[in-house]
Amino acid sequence: MKLSRRTFLKTSGIATAGIAAATAGPEKFLLWAEEAGLIQATYVPTFCEICFWKCGAIAKVLNGRVVKLDGNPVHGNSRGKLCARGNGGIGLLYDKDRLKTPLINVGKRGEGKYRKATWDEALGVVAEKMKGIREQYGPEAMAIFTHGAPTDHFLPLLSAYGTPNVGMPSFAQCRGPRDVGYELTFGEGPGSPERVDLVNSKVMVLIGSHLGENMHNSQVQDFAEAIGRGSKLIVVDPRYSIAAGKAEQWLPIRPATDLALLLAWINIIITEGLYDRAYLDQYAEGFAELAREVSHCTPEWAAKETDLPAAQIVETARMMGHNAPAVTIHPGRHATWYGDDVQRSRAMAILTALLGSWGRSGGMFFATKASLPKGESKPFPEPTKASLNGGGYPFAGAEGVTQAIRTATITGAPYPLKGWFVSGTNLMKSLPNQQETVDAIAKLDLLVVVDVMPMDLTMMADVILPECTYLERHDALAIGKGKSLSVSLRQPVIKPLYDSQPGWWIAKELAKKLDLGEYFPWNSYEEKIKAQCKTGGISYDDLKKLGCLTIPDTSAPYITPENQPTFKTESGKIQLYSKELKEKGFDPVPVYVRHPLPPEGFFRLTYGRSSVHTFSRTTNNPALNELYKENEVWINANKAKALGFSSGDYAVLVNQDGAKSNRIRVKATQRIREDMVYMVHGWGSLGKELSRSGRKGADDQGLITKYAVDPIAGSTGMRVNFVKLQKEG
Amino acid sequence: MPKYAMVIDQRRCVACMACVVACKNENEVPPEQYRTRVLEMVEGEFPLLRMELRSELCNHCDNPPCVYNCPTGASYKRKEDGIVLLRKNRCVGCKACVAACPYSARYINHEKGFADKCTFCDHRLKEGKEPACVATCIGKSRIFGDMDDPKSPVRLALKGADATVLLEGAGTKPRVFYIKKFSKPE
Amino acid sequence: MELTVTGVNALTSPHLHIWDWRVSLYLFLGGLSAGLAVMTTVLHLRQGGKLVKDEAAGYIAPILVPVILGIGMLFIFLDLERKLNVFWFYLTFQPLSPMSWGSWGLLVFFPVSGLFALATLPDDMLHWLLLEPLKQLALRMREYLFPLAAANFAMGIFIGIYTGVLLSSFVARPLWNSAVLPVLFLTSAMSVGAALMIMIARTNKVKLFFTKIDIWMICGEMVILPLFFYGQYTSSGAHRDSILPFFSLSSEYFSYGCSMLVLFIIFPIALVLKMLEIKEEHGHTLTPMALAKMNLSAGIVLMGGLIIRLTFVYAGQLSKLS
Ligand SMILES: Nc1nc2c(c(=O)[nH]1)N[C@H]1C(S)=C(S)[C@@H](COP(=O)(O)OP(=O)(O)OC[C@H]3O[C@@H](n4cnc5c(=O)[nH]c(N)nc54)[C@H](O)[C@@H]3O)O[C@H]1N2
Ligand SMILES: Nc1nc2c(c(=O)[nH]1)N[C@H]1C(S)=C(S)[C@@H](COP(=O)(O)OP(=O)(O)OC[C@H]3O[C@@H](n4cnc5c(=O)[nH]c(N)nc54)[C@H](O)[C@@H]3O)O[C@H]1N2
Ligand code: SF4
Ligand code: SF4
Ligand code: SF4
Ligand code: SF4
Ligand code: SF4
Ligand SMILES: [Mo]
Repeated sequence: MKLSRRTFLKTSGIATAGIAAATAGPEKFLLWAEEAGLIQATYVPTFCEICFWKCGAIAKVLNGRVVKLDGNPVHGNSRGKLCARGNGGIGLLYDKDRLKTPLINVGKRGEGKYRKATWDEALGVVAEKMKGIREQYGPEAMAIFTHGAPTDHFLPLLSAYGTPNVGMPSFAQCRGPRDVGYELTFGEGPGSPERVDLVNSKVMVLIGSHLGENMHNSQVQDFAEAIGRGSKLIVVDPRYSIAAGKAEQWLPIRPATDLALLLAWINIIITEGLYDRAYLDQYAEGFAELAREVSHCTPEWAAKETDLPAAQIVETARMMGHNAPAVTIHPGRHATWYGDDVQRSRAMAILTALLGSWGRSGGMFFATKASLPKGESKPFPEPTKASLNGGGYPFAGAEGVTQAIRTATITGAPYPLKGWFVSGTNLMKSLPNQQETVDAIAKLDLLVVVDVMPMDLTMMADVILPECTYLERHDALAIGKGKSLSVSLRQPVIKPLYDSQPGWWIAKELAKKLDLGEYFPWNSYEEKIKAQCKTGGISYDDLKKLGCLTIPDTSAPYITPENQPTFKTESGKIQLYSKELKEKGFDPVPVYVRHPLPPEGFFRLTYGRSSVHTFSRTTNNPALNELYKENEVWINANKAKALGFSSGDYAVLVNQDGAKSNRIRVKATQRIREDMVYMVHGWGSLGKELSRSGRKGADDQGLITKYAVDPIAGSTGMRVNFVKLQKEG
Repeated sequence: MPKYAMVIDQRRCVACMACVVACKNENEVPPEQYRTRVLEMVEGEFPLLRMELRSELCNHCDNPPCVYNCPTGASYKRKEDGIVLLRKNRCVGCKACVAACPYSARYINHEKGFADKCTFCDHRLKEGKEPACVATCIGKSRIFGDMDDPKSPVRLALKGADATVLLEGAGTKPRVFYIKKFSKPE
Repeated sequence: MELTVTGVNALTSPHLHIWDWRVSLYLFLGGLSAGLAVMTTVLHLRQGGKLVKDEAAGYIAPILVPVILGIGMLFIFLDLERKLNVFWFYLTFQPLSPMSWGSWGLLVFFPVSGLFALATLPDDMLHWLLLEPLKQLALRMREYLFPLAAANFAMGIFIGIYTGVLLSSFVARPLWNSAVLPVLFLTSAMSVGAALMIMIARTNKVKLFFTKIDIWMICGEMVILPLFFYGQYTSSGAHRDSILPFFSLSSEYFSYGCSMLVLFIIFPIALVLKMLEIKEEHGHTLTPMALAKMNLSAGIVLMGGLIIRLTFVYAGQLSKLS
């Protein structure tokens, strides 16, 4: 299948000029052969899985080898572009360190001694153990931890098996508190992709969101576009991030005090009358209570808390007020910082509401109401025991509170958990306090990991099931709900390498062995997708050809007289003052509580993203490792000097509980406050199986022995640890 | 005949490195070697800082010292469109061109021994595609086109912009133009 | 400024790592053969050819010229990354490329210096030429001694300058990019040529003659080298920065600083030694002591020439426009 090529240079005439190929050499044999017409490149559209943005990609295949990935121009999340990581996807496909065959543990658990096994045997062992657990403890004694595309295959499997216990790090370690904060305010979350109307904004406010390093493709495209169009940028970040470098106003806030800043902003906007009165009258309730509760939050008060100049706090508030409603308060994404994260997110939502930006051009837009129904499936059995997902937190989300399941595994209460089925998440890296993860795993009868790489958690499994990479398989259709509905197809670009298998196949085969085959009634996943397309009324053939279909729809992204918003809150209005929270015993309007500051000689440990890596998953990817081979610890240059470190030196970090990191290079920089250090998350993997990234850099998670659980959502604030730097050795 | 050029709007660069990875894949650049790079430059003291992001590649100079210094004629500037290219089969690997380029745009392909550098993705232009780095540029910071065409993206980008070239004093007459603006505060 | 670069080639950043001692040696040997060529010509033409009488250097030096040149070219060949393509040097001429000039120049220099060597071979040495046609050729060449000498001289000057121009043509490398550099390299070439001549020569007269020449050449170098630095210092910032390594003894630049120190010490020493040599009353045959001193001072000059090539090749790669 060949796609029609985009021609952009029509006017220049070069497209047809056909200048003789002067640079062909044997080393470029394939490309040359292609040019000479001896072999034909095929172009196969699919979508990326290097992170969760699901960008449409087109793979160029020459002679069975994937040589290039390009963005799919008709795909809204990529618009013809891939980020560095997406471009480097081939690196994962051809990484020699990939998991190649099913493996069964032959040593002690965690020792990393494995023998190769056939699929039949490996799946047989898993099925046997799962059956045993079901007989002895009931199906609820299995839990599934999952993230990303494999979820669509293994969650149904475990649901069919009969367990309600599911945990995804995307809730309690990521977006959970944000979504809850926005839901409590507007009745719905900001979505993923976040429905930020950056391109039409006049002011953008980033509170910790380090866009540019945080490389969610189309969002960063919008961000750059907005800058290009002259939108003014306010960045609140204790570190001079890439985004801060583009900001008109950079607020190098004292970590953990964002709520004070937000409340002061809210107060200024109220007292100076900069809020959207008509909008609030019509759609919101609790304004008076809000005004009362924040009245003491003066700029001067906030200045003391946040270590920011009061004048700058006022100036930035006015910038927002004067440009409202075309102000995007970015809701952030990784929001699990200090344990009061729902309230901080609520404050951001309230600010958005005051400016009238929710549902307005340049603020936050509404998602399309269209949808594509999932295919029919046999109803799952009703679990007999209560799910542990919520962990007892009143507003925990459906994606589950991972660490609550972990705790239950350790304690065996309220009932024993004896098996973990893990797919697409490296729990050793994603969950705080690794010791608890290790302790929990010690209690298990079975740990199965479906992964593509020998990551830290993978190498603790009893049975390792090697999934093929996203370029070698079908997965569930990706349904995107932005301004319009989009449906994207993941399809194999080449056949699976080695003895790896697609997730759907693994799930289906395992289901057969568990006598659950009826939940997977189709022969191939393509068949299932075809059926779904048919019910949804879209053409599978078009989808296969184009990779993505955008369903034109009546979507109305902004509030108009005809398009009135609905708020799925209790009262049907925006909750400036949350009765729901009050009922459950929480502050109905966010209240700032001071967090402990680092003691003398210690720095607050913070972390974030590198534009060329996704967590731990890409660290060993040859194409990306090359650009960033190990993480560094950022420390203020003056502090570094005082401690006798210069850039490039190795240091060891030790936290308040004595946990020690692997050695890590120092980046002595003016770009960070003196009271914190910062590092890119995902490094310091233990495995010697990772030939590039094993033992390189330090693992922030290893230093996060303490975490602050948000009492509202159960999410884990992970920036509450303090570290000091020591010389290596 | 077109006169190809690139404009780099530094204001829009987000240091995402997509260009760097795309270029390597597209052009089979060996490990640890690059045809393009991205510089992050920060000046000042906390909290009064400013940042400049700049991607760099071969400038396809109109007055190319790399070509002048090549003893074999392997390096040449193509008359039709001004792209500075290389006939690999002629290259002896003497490295004169590497030394001659003031922009460190060249390298010796350590797998094959010939000199190499950015070609403006000549092979993609022939297919009517933009250079790989431009096509994937997340910030639309890299802009490519024909300087002779008033409607081309480069001409539009340069209109009214205060564009500069790198090392103007070297007299190389680059065809890669930079639009830069420091972020505040000064 | 804090600088982070993603996508660096170690080959060019933070500075060039492309040419090493092989290129230095090539430049040195090229210069030496050029200098020697000029000096042999002088030897033959000076005083109507009287100097060559009873002087083995008269035919040994001319032979050494192509030999040294050949060894020098071997080193540049060793430096090529694609040796099989070397013929491309000679399938084209690139008028703007000093290296192209050089490769053709060297190609011309070979036969010229070879023929000159043949022409200078005295009768009793003709048996060195094992082949009869070669002997015939040598005899024929004697008729062209004068034009060959002129050509040899011209080529010597050309190659001597070329070794400097090769570097000075790089606008991108401020240390090299100086019009003084070719003059410096030429002078140095002549100086090492004369020094080698002193070592080869058997007769007192010739040795002292070339000692006098070398004194002029060393004086020249000792003027030109500071002039070079002065020129760099008063030029652009990049040029000024480029000489820094030579005037720093920090660990980073230690070898460069030391090299300059050595040069500034050994050249005057060589000079003084040579002055003494010519002042001294010499008998018909030199005393072993005087001979040793002469060889020592000549050796110092050769070493100085090599140091200049080595340090300039390396230090030039540290310099860049900014
Ligand atoms: N390249 C790349 N991009 C990614 C990912 C990736 O792995 N790689 N992951 C994706 C995912 S799943 C997520 S959730 C997002 C996360 O991306 P974001 O939501 O942007 O991440 P955060 O962790 O909230 O932000 C990190 C920033 O917060 C700053 N910070 C630290 N402490 C504080 C504080 O107390 N207050 C304030 N205001 N700022 C603070 C840090 O200096 C850093 O710049 O990134 C997404 N994008
Ligand atoms: N300390 C600290 N903890 C964090 C964060 C942080 O910044 N700092 N970030 C948090 C956030 S925002 C998030 S979203 C989570 C992310 O947490 P995770 O999603 O667990 O992130 P990764 O570490 O990338 O682990 C992904 C795992 O999936 C595997 N994998 C990749 N592709 C596939 C595939 O196609 N199939 C299968 N079966 N497996 C695959 C990888 O090899 C790897 O083992 O981490 C959270 N935890
Ligand atoms: S943002 Fe980048 S890594 Fe994530 S899906 Fe898109 S292209 Fe892939
Ligand atoms: S940038 Fe360097 S390699 Fe490119 S044309 Fe100019 S001198 Fe040559
Ligand atoms: S390395 Fe190749 S391209 Fe460069 S100057 Fe030498 S022959 Fe020319
Ligand atoms: S134009 Fe092509 S070769 Fe040049 S830097 Fe961009 S991608 Fe690389
Ligand atoms: S792709 Fe564009 S925005 Fe990203 S680093 Fe390169 S030039 Fe900058
Ligand atoms: Mo996340």
